[in-house]
Amino acid sequence: MSYEITLMTTMAISVLFALSLNFISGFCGQISLGHAAFLGAGAYTSAMLSKASVPFLLTIPAAAICAALLGAIIGLASLRVRHDFLAITTMGVGFLFVGIIRQQEFFGGEIGIAGIPSSGFGKVGFMLICIGLALTFALFSLYVRRSWMGFVFKSIADNEDVTRVLGIDVSRYKLIAFIIGTGTAGVAGALYAHHFRFVGPDSFGFVESVSVLAMVIVGGIGSVWGVIFAAALLSVLPMLVQFIDDYKLLLYSGLLFAMMRFSPDGIAGLCNRLFSSIPRRVSANNGDKR
Amino acid sequence: MKKTKQISAILMGALLTVGTGYASSIKIGFNVPLTGFAAADGKSALNGAELAVEQANAAGGVNGKSLMLVVYDDQASPKEAVPIAQKLIEKDEVIAAISGSYSGSTRAAAGIFQEAGVPYIAAYAVHPDITRAGNYVFRTSFVGEVQGRAGAKLMGETLGAKKVSVITLKNDFGKSLAAGLKEAASNYGITIVSEYEYGIKDRQFGPIVSKVKSDKPDAIYATGYFFTAGPLVSQLRAAGITVPIIGQEGYDSQKFIDIAGPAAEGTIITTSLNRDSASIETKNFIREFESKTGNKADMVAASAHTAVKVIVAAMRKAGTTDKAALREAISATSVVAATGNISFNALGEVRKDVQVQIVKNGTWREYSVISDSKLLAPPNQ
Amino acid sequence: MLYLELFIQGLVQGSIYALIALGLTLVYGLLRILHVAHAALFTLGGYIGVIVSNATGSFTLAMIVAMLLVGFAGMLMYKLAYEPLLSQPPYVSLIASIALFIASEEIFRIAFGPYGLSYQTPPLQGHIELFSGFYLKYAEILVMGLSTVLMITLAWLSMRTRTGVAWRATVTDPDMARAFGVKIQNVRYLNFFIGSSFAAAAGVLVALLNNLVEPTMGSVASYKALAIIVLGGLGSIRGTLIAALLLGVLESFGTIYIGHLLDRDAIAFAFLILVLMIRPQGLMGGKL
Repeated sequence: MSYEITLMTTMAISVLFALSLNFISGFCGQISLGHAAFLGAGAYTSAMLSKASVPFLLTIPAAAICAALLGAIIGLASLRVRHDFLAITTMGVGFLFVGIIRQQEFFGGEIGIAGIPSSGFGKVGFMLICIGLALTFALFSLYVRRSWMGFVFKSIADNEDVTRVLGIDVSRYKLIAFIIGTGTAGVAGALYAHHFRFVGPDSFGFVESVSVLAMVIVGGIGSVWGVIFAAALLSVLPMLVQFIDDYKLLLYSGLLFAMMRFSPDGIAGLCNRLFSSIPRRVSANNGDKR
Repeated sequence: MKKTKQISAILMGALLTVGTGYASSIKIGFNVPLTGFAAADGKSALNGAELAVEQANAAGGVNGKSLMLVVYDDQASPKEAVPIAQKLIEKDEVIAAISGSYSGSTRAAAGIFQEAGVPYIAAYAVHPDITRAGNYVFRTSFVGEVQGRAGAKLMGETLGAKKVSVITLKNDFGKSLAAGLKEAASNYGITIVSEYEYGIKDRQFGPIVSKVKSDKPDAIYATGYFFTAGPLVSQLRAAGITVPIIGQEGYDSQKFIDIAGPAAEGTIITTSLNRDSASIETKNFIREFESKTGNKADMVAASAHTAVKVIVAAMRKAGTTDKAALREAISATSVVAATGNISFNALGEVRKDVQVQIVKNGTWREYSVISDSKLLAPPNQ
Repeated sequence: MLYLELFIQGLVQGSIYALIALGLTLVYGLLRILHVAHAALFTLGGYIGVIVSNATGSFTLAMIVAMLLVGFAGMLMYKLAYEPLLSQPPYVSLIASIALFIASEEIFRIAFGPYGLSYQTPPLQGHIELFSGFYLKYAEILVMGLSTVLMITLAWLSMRTRTGVAWRATVTDPDMARAFGVKIQNVRYLNFFIGSSFAAAAGVLVALLNNLVEPTMGSVASYKALAIIVLGGLGSIRGTLIAALLLGVLESFGTIYIGHLLDRDAIAFAFLILVLMIRPQGLMGGKL
């Protein structure tokens, strides 16, 4: 049972992290290749505070604020660049974050921070906190999607210039998306730090950023349910099928490639197409069969 | 629809195969990098550990049961090592575990094993904090500082170097070695004239090589693994630097010599495996490893082999698989293994001689042995 | 003297970056795809170079074979991986490319082992002493020389031959080019062929400099090359070349003088972000 609890906790944290990226990249269309930096910002903040005897629950808002501040700065910078430039810039931010952290002894340098104290809620309690937070944000995402803000986000994602012409302050909304998305990633980071009890520069590098983006895209960019499913699955899949250890990464990347090749709108898209043969209420996507 | 059916079929099959009997073997966990940048060392360590397990089973197993190694690939990444540690403890229920991996992942996993009361032996990871995780954690290889001190003695006394340039690999391994060196340097009349750092992915060291050349040191202390040390040493020599280059166990592999070619000649390292050893244990290990794998033995293989031997000996002595009793037995170990006479101090650090090897005619040969027990005394807490 | 050495090393490193980044910018200019998997071709080139060299003893042959084989591999990659995705939003091909790259690293590791390969008798190991204490390795001279030759050849081909003109026309305006009878498909194949074979050349040269090819040798190259093409201004060949050389020199001095603040790879990105904030279209990019 103990192992299953560990797995559930890992899944919940990954889901929260993936949903936070979905907010930025899925809802608002800003592709970020450096999202792990915000997970890291939250994780490090929480880890260092926790080691300084700050109670776990207090470290969560601290982590969120720290990550969101970083997110705001990056968000402001990202307003200058678009599309592919944005993707590369965010990638650069990720590398810069890791590069700076590695060099400063204050953050533990290369070696990272080990021995992070336990959350104090016990295994089951901690798992429930993680699931609770993930669920809360999922509900929040669903709410936003149907709200005016979500509508603006989608408009920006579809066509930024037209949206601007309509008189909407695109910059402000992009910034909001960034702040919310990165702040939430910070929360996920705090949870991460207390689950794995260790943070190091390698935990938040480019591979992590790509992995979480993969979760979002495989789930179906913009789809809350798809992302939840994909994140839950992909986060624990390696541990379940560890007997194929040697070929693990190959299988992963192979599946990812196959997904992009045959169903780029992810699992959500797959499901949509599967069920579109059943007559449903009219929605924007129902018309096009690929 | 077909796709989901296929995926579920695969998953079912996977879960079934994973479930089938571990039967009545004694399970020892083993986290090792099998993919990623450290895969070469990982493969070697795995071979060494497997050899030891085969040998133990051939000799009748332990307390009547056969030994089984539960192996997971941690990619030498702390992020991967932690879930693996959790899995080994909670799902596979190992009675002890060995780290065949680098310091980063070992350190992350050590805390988990300590908290769960499962004995954990670091085969060759050097970071000092590993054993500080608690009394269930041991190390069969030198802690970074000790090896660094040995390096200082080697350079100061044996080679008579006064000015040393240090080139440090920016990770747990490199930094703890450099720290050890710097701590002991002045005791042997050494001044560190400069220190440069590089990342584990670097293979082009042009700027550092140029700067070191202009520093004109008497010797160079360079930390790294064979895939960084090989290019580094080759580039240092190609730039016309002729002073001795001192490495450590990270170089300890035939691959280092293959990569650096003729530039490897004369490189001296502090390590745990003496190819010219007169000890029967070591000779047997080297011979059997080569016949099992077709590769030459190296330090990581020897260390993993040693770690398994320690656990096997402790289990036989304790006569039980109770983890607390096992821990007691391990801490009281006194065993002769491929890497020397193994016994632990209160912190779980090993006390043994440092082997110094040199590249002569394209292979590693004995250069000297450092036995200063005061110098080599590992930290006690 | 130290500065001169650092500068030359920067140029050597920059030449390698240039060879790699060129292929990337060629693909982007034509298809607007961020071809991360390009680095896999770089690694493949390195492996082929070492294998052929060890088998035949001829480095020149190794270089030629590597460039040819990888050129075709690049074309194959386009056909199988990118062509089907041309109608999808850009992030699809980006993720597909990243997936392809990771898969290729694994394939190299499984096929050739994790230990990496080395030349049995590495060629061009000597060096010449230009003046007191200043050594230049033969291999380094080859890198700079070969890169220059390849670049000039490319420039000549694109300016002076029909194929070259057709290719440039396609990049600027595909529909117009098509109207003039240019076979777009062939232009794309050519594009990938050239870019990939240049990457292969870079791979063979790096293998020579380090005497080591490893499955993961492309990982640093892949994202740094991305930084370079963005820095140069996506799609601008001249910008890419300048950015590549500039970055090489910057890294060379940076590792020594600001190495304690920022690690080597981060220097590239710090510089990139700085430039993009001042000039969002990159050093030589056109209007956004």
